[in-house]
Amino acid sequence: MEKTLRRTNLLKSLFDVEEGYSLGQAIIEADRCLLCHEAPCSVGCPAEADPATFIRKLRLKNLKGAIRTIKENNILGGICGIVCPTDKLCEEKCLATGIDKPINIGKLQRFLVEYGWQIGFNPLIKKPAKNIKVAVVGSGPAGLTCAAYLAEEGYDVTVFESNKKPGGILRYGVPPFRLGEDFVDREIKDIIALGVKIKCNSPIKGKGAIEILLKEGFEAVFVGTGLSSPYKLNIPGAHLKNVITSTELLKDVKAENQEKISGLVKNQNVAIIGGGSVAMDVANTCKVLKAKKVYCIALESMQELPADKDDLQMAIDNYVIIKPQCRVKEIIGKDDTVIGVKGNETEWKVPRLLIPSNAEDVPGAEFSLEVGAVIIAIGSGPDSQLKEQLPNVKFTKRGLIQINKDTFATAVNGIYAGGDIVRGPALLVDAVADGKKGAKSIIKFLQGGK
Amino acid sequence: MRDLSIEFCGVKFSTPFLLSASGVSNTAEMIARGFEKGFGGVSYKTLCVQSYDDMKIINPSPRTHAYNYGSKKLVGLQNVESVTDRPLKDNINDIKWLKKNYPKHIVIGSIMGFSKDEWRDLALACEDAGVDMLELNLSCPHMEIEGSGAKVGQVPRLVKEFTHIVRNAVKLPILVKLTPNVTDMTEVALYAKEGGADGITAINTVAGLSGIGLDNFVPFPNVFGKGAISGFSGPVVKPIGLRFIAELAMKKELGLPLSGVGGIETWVDAVEYLLAGASTVQMTTSVIRYGHRVVEDMCEGLSDFMDEKGFKKVKDIVGKALPNIHETSEFDMSKQGAVQFDLDRCIGCGDCYIACQDAGAQCITWDSEKRRPSVDETKCYTCMACSFVCPIDNPPLITFKEIKGKKPYIPEPSKL
Repeated sequence: MEKTLRRTNLLKSLFDVEEGYSLGQAIIEADRCLLCHEAPCSVGCPAEADPATFIRKLRLKNLKGAIRTIKENNILGGICGIVCPTDKLCEEKCLATGIDKPINIGKLQRFLVEYGWQIGFNPLIKKPAKNIKVAVVGSGPAGLTCAAYLAEEGYDVTVFESNKKPGGILRYGVPPFRLGEDFVDREIKDIIALGVKIKCNSPIKGKGAIEILLKEGFEAVFVGTGLSSPYKLNIPGAHLKNVITSTELLKDVKAENQEKISGLVKNQNVAIIGGGSVAMDVANTCKVLKAKKVYCIALESMQELPADKDDLQMAIDNYVIIKPQCRVKEIIGKDDTVIGVKGNETEWKVPRLLIPSNAEDVPGAEFSLEVGAVIIAIGSGPDSQLKEQLPNVKFTKRGLIQINKDTFATAVNGIYAGGDIVRGPALLVDAVADGKKGAKSIIKFLQGGK
Repeated sequence: MRDLSIEFCGVKFSTPFLLSASGVSNTAEMIARGFEKGFGGVSYKTLCVQSYDDMKIINPSPRTHAYNYGSKKLVGLQNVESVTDRPLKDNINDIKWLKKNYPKHIVIGSIMGFSKDEWRDLALACEDAGVDMLELNLSCPHMEIEGSGAKVGQVPRLVKEFTHIVRNAVKLPILVKLTPNVTDMTEVALYAKEGGADGITAINTVAGLSGIGLDNFVPFPNVFGKGAISGFSGPVVKPIGLRFIAELAMKKELGLPLSGVGGIETWVDAVEYLLAGASTVQMTTSVIRYGHRVVEDMCEGLSDFMDEKGFKKVKDIVGKALPNIHETSEFDMSKQGAVQFDLDRCIGCGDCYIACQDAGAQCITWDSEKRRPSVDETKCYTCMACSFVCPIDNPPLITFKEIKGKKPYIPEPSKL
């Protein structure tokens, strides 16, 4: 049966994932592509996924070639096709917009990867084993990408992951209705097929632990631990029960702890603090878990909200109430449990300077909401223990790892880093790009080129 | 709506649009629905006698295959269907019923005999049933019985002979439907005329091979492991059909009215056939693609075209393009031109540049920063390739213009 495209954003369940294209739908979409000279879409992709080439290949019935282009350029091409904010990258540059609307590049990319799985075609060929061991710390997008490219070149790669399952933010930071866990598992299977060993439940703990890997037979290390420590709010009531972070919610909602989260928000009003895509994901999650009223409270105006347009639209379509230019100043509790929030409407002292200290209260515009749970979605920072594990590596003031921007090398010879732990909050495709570049530098280093 | 009627071989058609002899004219019931939508007549699915058991017509399965282009469906159609597989008695009853219930619509009896007697018998049977005209099918490219179909249409002597037999048997107007699978159709048409034909129908399907299965190497349609070179039709054959109609119309010694067939899908296609000399047009593939409703748009489109251009009668359109069809040697080569760009509407895809570089005169340069082409008019040899790939159409962004005094451009020697 032909797959039907989602016509409404209204989520039916936590696992209501949008269907991908069928072959027929993909061909129709590819037919709209103008096949531009010096195609702007391909310039727009940090991960160098090269949509212009894979769409042309699809158009000329070279389907295997199209799959090869994607997977060789981006080992996480399928996942990127789903979660990448393409409207801000390749699709923003698409010249078909001059005629009608941009080509749905993300969905074409996802289709081709899924089609490869369906027909059993794996374009990645592993080079002969080199018997040189490399460690990767963290199995998020940067770490997995780095591991895959090293393994393709014949290196013996082990990925250390503290969580129960691999994927990092891809598994634990994206709600199931946006990216199914089975999809993540399937794409990681391609990486495991290259010979990458992924050790889960294996946190690298203790003083100097990551650096010590270099003495335990690993000739290079790539650190891609991401930003795993959620920021908290320093306001009265922040310690109360039923105040949790977006990270906790999105991690727990996967599988076994779903009931715990469900119990927290079901039939309750929920206040979410933050206006990014994660806040929208959390709001939508609360909605499908049958929360009553869900508020998204952010300092930015409606136009300034950092969330992707699609994510914001999905929240609006799911009846989330957006409260722009508002600040929560206190979480009210009774018997240690949240019963409401109090706050004030705000405006910027200096226009368009979007930092919390620039927001000031509008006199006479206080608000209070009755809520049974508060979820903080204001971003994450680096794990505080990372410095301890990397005592000789240099860190920035924000606690991010300092690297050579060309080589991704840290202050310690043989240790490389990439992804959010280097950049701060960035895009999935940036992490993929870092993983690729990190792998290239590591290969150069291991070949003695330094 | 204008009066779209036209007289053709002495018979009045309410519209020039006919269902052609094929699967779309297989039964009275389906033809009747087509009449209701605006078809002026039908060339009824080719009748045969099937007098002996070993001549029973059984159609292969599957009998047709679609030729697609990208996501565009059915730009061509390959079929391995034969003449009617229904008993003659049933078909005759259907024709009688049609003439009784739709007396103003024209029923043409398409016939194919496998012997001289059969040609005569079929013609008489049709006359008895009340058909308005006959159409001799001398052109089906995949009849397996010797002495029939296109094999006859390729032998002028037999065309004349069979036409003559029918001419002597009945007084009805006779059309001879010819095959395009010949070098010169006009020669065959002249033989038909000598045999007594009143008009020519062209073209039947073009012999073709539309595709081959890559898993089993069997051509389409795959009839249980076997394929065949067989009849190909649809929009992609329109240029071939139009060519033959124009050639027949320009053949002075012929002077017979024509019924055009081949890839007619819109009123524009139909008008082109009329302009090239056809008085009526017939169709099958477009009916397969869109159903009978396709004719509603033909009637409306033709009527509006006549209003716009001031034509009072359909017959006034017939052959209007013929004075403009010449040998290429008669062209005025002293006049040259170049392409021109309406850059205000350019979206910067650069497809024109690729076409010009790889398939044209290399006269277009490309500004990577601004993402805009510019053309060196002196070097443009007006292959027009850039305009074919430009996505901005209706109206086109890249057009031809004459450049007074321009010399023909010959590419310089390659710098190797």
